[in-house]
Amino acid sequence: MSLPPSLPPNESLSTSSVSAPATGRGGARRGWVVATWLLLATLLLVSALAAYLWVTTARWQESSAGWEADARELGQQVAQLDESLTGATAELEQARGQLTTAQDRITELADEKAQLGDENVVSQQYLDYQERVSDAAGTVATALDRCIDAQAQLIGYLEDRDSYDPDDLDRFADDVDDLCQSATDANAQLQTELTE
Amino acid sequence: MTRRRTLVASTMMLGLLAGCSGTLPPLPDPVPAATDLVPDDPSPQVPDGVDDLTTDGSAAVRSMAVRIRNVQCDGLSTGSGFALDEHTLLTNKHVVADSSEIQLSTYDGRDVAVEGASSARIADLAVIRTTEALPSYPKLALSDPAPGDTVTVVGYPEGGRLTITQGEVVGTTKDPLNSTLGEVLVTDAEVEPGSSGSAALDDDGNVIGVVYAKTASDQSLLVPVSTVQALLEDDGAFAPVASCS
Repeated sequence: MSLPPSLPPNESLSTSSVSAPATGRGGARRGWVVATWLLLATLLLVSALAAYLWVTTARWQESSAGWEADARELGQQVAQLDESLTGATAELEQARGQLTTAQDRITELADEKAQLGDENVVSQQYLDYQERVSDAAGTVATALDRCIDAQAQLIGYLEDRDSYDPDDLDRFADDVDDLCQSATDANAQLQTELTE
Repeated sequence: MTRRRTLVASTMMLGLLAGCSGTLPPLPDPVPAATDLVPDDPSPQVPDGVDDLTTDGSAAVRSMAVRIRNVQCDGLSTGSGFALDEHTLLTNKHVVADSSEIQLSTYDGRDVAVEGASSARIADLAVIRTTEALPSYPKLALSDPAPGDTVTVVGYPEGGRLTITQGEVVGTTKDPLNSTLGEVLVTDAEVEPGSSGSAALDDDGNVIGVVYAKTASDQSLLVPVSTVQALLEDDGAFAPVASCS
């Protein structure tokens, strides 16, 4: 048996070129599948991202609106408080004015009371002085009365001189003189006090 | 080549998306209620004038000044004084001299009972003890004032209503009355008879001296606070005031 004739070099090349395209089509298909999955995953991811951004935007819009509402409410409260503060400040100023007036009045009344107290003290001291003068005047009057009585008694003795011892009469007359001198001195002192 | 480009493009896009996801904006926090935004703590800032509602800020100054009536055996004199603490007054020795009774009254007319009085041996100062509490009292300054410092005198000149006068410290001099040892302060604050014993205060309301005399040139003389402090710290510096009776 003879071996079959060998193929010419060109035929051998064609055989090998026929088997190679079969392997390339399978890889391309896998590549397209992978690319498709990748694109699909990308699409899903982009979709999820878009959804997230949409939700986030909506939430931020709601938040912004909420903050704005809060700001407006607080602004209104500030305006009300500012108005109240203005009123309170005006009332405070008014109260200060009234307090100053009251303070001045209190000081004035305290001064009047102090002056009255001074006058009372002075009046009391004057009354005490008058009382002392009255007592002294009474004492002087009593002394003068006793002087007058003694002098009347001495005159009676002198009218009946013979009935009494001359020495006793002289001694009695001296006593009357002393008594009357004391009364006169006291009266002079009183008059001096009264004229001062 | 097309397949490879597609893969590279897809991978880059995924990477880009993955990178973007790292900087995605977060969702906002819930918006609090407006009332929750207001702090619970009150504002620490106190409006002006709350501490002292009087327009001239002198309520404390007024309440520490006391009018002194010295009932003597044959007359009457008045002077001023101020509280050192709840039951102690400071005034001049000559204000309480020769008295049979000392009577005190506050700026608002309240009478304060006296327990006793003592006068200093080497200065025109006297201390009066009260049985009732005094409304308020100032602090003594730590040192004597310097020339040019502002001085406020609070007292009852001529025995009249409570009066507040201001001036400046002019300097120091030897006591022309020889009633106080050492130097005394000279100020241009206006005083009158009856102002004796008035407190002289600095800008912070602290006592810098005690008025005791007036010069021919209408300047006031003060016992300086350094002398006051020295005498108050000396237990033997004061002796009971002798009565005129």
